[in-house]
Amino acid sequence: MNILDNYQKNKKNIFFTENKDVQNYREKLLTIFENDRFDRKNNESLKNINLKNFFDFKYKYLVPEEISVINNYQDDNYSIVSINGQCSNFKDDKIEITKILDEDYNDFSKNNIIEKNDHFVNLNSLFLNSGFKIVIKKNNNIKIKISNIVTDDALTIFQKNNYFCEEGSSVSLIEEYENKNNSTSNILNVIKLEKNSKFNHFLIQDNSPNHNLIITSHSSCKKASTYNQKVYNFSEGYVRNFHYSKLLETNSEADLQGIFFLKDNNTSNNKTFVKHLAGECKSNQVYKGILNDRAKATYFSNTHVDQVAQKTEGYQLSKGILLSDNASYFSKPELKIYADDVKCSHGSTIGPIDENAIFYLRSRGMSKIAATKMLISSFINEELSSIDDEQMFQTIQKKLVRYLSKVK
Amino acid sequence: MIIVNSETLNTLDSYSKNKYKYGFVTDIDSEKPRKGLNEKIIKYISSKKNEPSWLLEWRLSSFRKWKKMKEPDWANLNFPKIDYQDIYYYSAPKGFKDKPKDLSEVDPKLIETYNKLGIPLEEQKVLAGVAVDVVFDSVSVATTYKGELEKLGIIFCSIGEAIQKHPNLIKKYLGSVIPPGDHSFSALNSAVFTDGSFVYIPKNVKCPMELSTYFRINSENTGQFERTLIIADKGSYVSYLEGCTAPKRDDNQLHAANVELIALEDAEIKYSTVQNWYPGDEEGKGGIYNFVTKRGLCAGKNSKISWTQVETGSAITWKYPSCILKGDNSIGEFYSVAITNNYQQADTGTKMTHIGKNTKSKIISKGISLGKSQNTYRGEVTFLRKSDKARNYTQCDSLLVGNQCGAHTVPYIDSKNNTAVIEHEASTSKINEDQLYYCRQRGLSHEEAVSLIVNGFCKQVLQELPMEFAVEAQKLVSISLEGSVG
Amino acid sequence: MFLEIKDLSVKIENKNILKSLNLNINKGEVHAIMGPNGSGKSTLANVLAGKEDYEILNGKIIFKDNDLFDLNIEERAQEGMFLAFQYPVEIPGVNITPFLHSAINSKRKRMNQDEIDNLSFAKLLKSKASDLGINIDMLKRSVNTGFSGGEKKRYEILQMSILNPDLAILDETDSGLDIDALKIVTDGVNKLKTKDNSFLIITHYQKLLDYIKPDYVHVMVNGSIVKSGGSEIAAEIEKDGFQKFQ
Repeated sequence: MNILDNYQKNKKNIFFTENKDVQNYREKLLTIFENDRFDRKNNESLKNINLKNFFDFKYKYLVPEEISVINNYQDDNYSIVSINGQCSNFKDDKIEITKILDEDYNDFSKNNIIEKNDHFVNLNSLFLNSGFKIVIKKNNNIKIKISNIVTDDALTIFQKNNYFCEEGSSVSLIEEYENKNNSTSNILNVIKLEKNSKFNHFLIQDNSPNHNLIITSHSSCKKASTYNQKVYNFSEGYVRNFHYSKLLETNSEADLQGIFFLKDNNTSNNKTFVKHLAGECKSNQVYKGILNDRAKATYFSNTHVDQVAQKTEGYQLSKGILLSDNASYFSKPELKIYADDVKCSHGSTIGPIDENAIFYLRSRGMSKIAATKMLISSFINEELSSIDDEQMFQTIQKKLVRYLSKVK
Repeated sequence: MIIVNSETLNTLDSYSKNKYKYGFVTDIDSEKPRKGLNEKIIKYISSKKNEPSWLLEWRLSSFRKWKKMKEPDWANLNFPKIDYQDIYYYSAPKGFKDKPKDLSEVDPKLIETYNKLGIPLEEQKVLAGVAVDVVFDSVSVATTYKGELEKLGIIFCSIGEAIQKHPNLIKKYLGSVIPPGDHSFSALNSAVFTDGSFVYIPKNVKCPMELSTYFRINSENTGQFERTLIIADKGSYVSYLEGCTAPKRDDNQLHAANVELIALEDAEIKYSTVQNWYPGDEEGKGGIYNFVTKRGLCAGKNSKISWTQVETGSAITWKYPSCILKGDNSIGEFYSVAITNNYQQADTGTKMTHIGKNTKSKIISKGISLGKSQNTYRGEVTFLRKSDKARNYTQCDSLLVGNQCGAHTVPYIDSKNNTAVIEHEASTSKINEDQLYYCRQRGLSHEEAVSLIVNGFCKQVLQELPMEFAVEAQKLVSISLEGSVG
Repeated sequence: MFLEIKDLSVKIENKNILKSLNLNINKGEVHAIMGPNGSGKSTLANVLAGKEDYEILNGKIIFKDNDLFDLNIEERAQEGMFLAFQYPVEIPGVNITPFLHSAINSKRKRMNQDEIDNLSFAKLLKSKASDLGINIDMLKRSVNTGFSGGEKKRYEILQMSILNPDLAILDETDSGLDIDALKIVTDGVNKLKTKDNSFLIITHYQKLLDYIKPDYVHVMVNGSIVKSGGSEIAAEIEKDGFQKFQ
């Protein structure tokens, strides 16, 4: 079924259909879909993917209502099980969680989105059927863990979450995506950081081959706030990680990092984009990927420095290791700079595992396969050793061992 | 052997005192058919040049392709739509029905023009060891040192002449690296190209002197569409230089050249350009639109093609000298300095396509942005499936002078081979204050210090140029920085 | 008066570095300024050279009858002021020979002297270099690029001997030098010394002053000169440190 049919059929069940503005906006999106030629070569959001899977889908709309579980243990630690993109309302003096339907959509729809030409974000806006808002209250320091679960086959989740960090707050959010169903999650996170706040965001992705995950985030930072994101992608299904950051005021920072491990026929598309709109800000964009078998990956990174953003420091690094003849990696690290007093750089390397290093290790008595595994581990050592949550470290370590066990 | 004579140095010295010294117009009658692009004008050009019918057919089919194509739009450039019907497609200095046999037959005004440009045509005055082919508007006017080259079997002449005298080589290689249908500018050039240079280096011959073409657009509203074809046969070597200037005019003029290089087994081609077309004035008025396609094919094993460019002119530069590394162990290199000032826009870089095993490529790009200009490096490195053990190293650095300009880096890196290695580095920064302080403490003025540091920044590229070009290029770099420092 | 610093107060980024500093230097004199880290010695050197990061709060500097603050960095250099940097900056791609050639000619131009041509300059450079034990190969390299600490300092002295300044300021030239390099550098300085030029030597240690005999030694603490005298002060500092001056 195509997009228009899907939309017509399910219209009454999609969130906020009764809102006139929303409806007008969706009509506009529909015409975009109808008129677009879906030029995969020149549209980064479409590269390497099977369009049929996403634009001609069997749409199962009705998201079963399940009660999510919110636990508050040890005071500052919250654990949330989000089922089919839903979360129950919750409130205490540090945090407030609200279902998307209980929010004023006009307030909710202020996206601050950088990229307009992204079909997946448009799909999300068109079919929105789940999501929530989390506010971290002023000057609090908390930890949240969210497990994202999809319950049914053929279910398509179009989820939008808003995070709002009030002044001086600090949050560490660990999100896990481990789905075994034949389903698709299209998630849009909009994250706003007020003055002096800090958000450490960890995304651990480990879905089975028939689950597709499309995750897009837009963070924006006010004065002296910091957004750190780390993505660990071990999924055997398709994952798209597109993450955008805007540095709106001075002394703010964005750090977007990711590692991905691909094998078989799997594909992953990755993008990070930092827009410096104020002076004296810093940004980092670092992605590393290991590709085996017939896996394909893309990584687009972009540092945009506005004319007023003097004293910017921007860094990009993209690294890829190809373990097989049939794997392929495309990388496009872009710098767009309109201010003169800046320090910006990017580096990129793609290649096999260093043969000299393999030789060295083998000459010390290690088997070739053990040497390869050791070098892969060392390739991402920095990313692993920076994890200070012991439980999370164990989780990721296990997934890495599982991936390495398939490397021959 | 290359010796820079004092005359050239003096000429160069005098350039440095003037911003765009080449902006004069030579008052010379020219023969022009009507403006506009249609099959009639193509037939006119073809018949003027007395071309064989297959070539006319080739031109017409290119034109038909062009009609269906859109201009490439992915570059970071802003300019009004080009009106292809408002351009003269052919302009020849009058009395050039037949090319002059020697310099005594050349209009003295032309010789004077080139003397003014610092390119004396009299052989005894020509820089020792450089043979020059001179293209004025659409026509090649003089080729020096022809006799000496002929002894070695080297063919160096205008492409028009080559079409008459060496039809087999033309038929075999023209359009073999840049197919007319590649994109709209290659189709346009294939349809209306008027002149340009042709070089053939026979087997195992190392060309003993630099070959050089000097391009000059003189007439108003004239497009220049030259076509250059260089073939280096097995085991041969050639170094080729290209220079360009145009008068100051308020209108924009279109230049859409195609350059094809073919290096067979063990052959090497070194191609250097100092591009100094009129960049427009300080307000951004006028200037050349430079849409150039340059592509080299390393067809044979162990072949090598090296591009070096110093781009300081043109209002718009759209140019990606590329290498197709087909032969095993072949090497592609790209060295570039691009300086933009005032309202200039440049989107330039390269494409390295690794097809063969053990192929290597190296990219060194230095971009300097001043004034209100926009300077983009755009480069693509591709490793195809069979390019085992291929290597690429890319370094692109940008320097910003002033906060009204932009510097952009857009690399595309695509690897489909797991034994190939690509390394890419890029940086953008402003001119280092400590270096400026140091130079000024030694007594250099602010402007001199900037010029010195920028020249140092570009050195990796400038040192790749043949010596007399390097001197000219250094001066050009300094001139391009003028007026924007302080 | 050759150089007169009067009541000089200077700040950078809201921090007062020099406070009402006074210093007079006559033609032909060698002065040494000693002081602990952070006392403002390098600031004084940079203010004299004209570095633009500083804010002059008060005071006056007269150099060869000029108000120094009327001259920019290069004009001061052309008037004969030379600063041998503590950390000479690397300038990749800029070759030593043309760099120095431009420098000497810009000075000669200001002095209304004829420019020195390529060949004579190359000769001059070679002879000065061999005096300082500098390998000719080094002259083919880029300014300070890839030089060791000792090479950088030696190259500073080479430039000094070429430009032949009226006032040479040596900012911690001894730091990072081993004893052999120190000898070469100080020999070079002593050779340059005439009755018409003056030296201001800034140092942390007394060791340098064993090789270059100063006429006057000043102790600088907290942005002012707290004691002046002959070379006996240096010995005093060597023995007891700066403690008693603070």
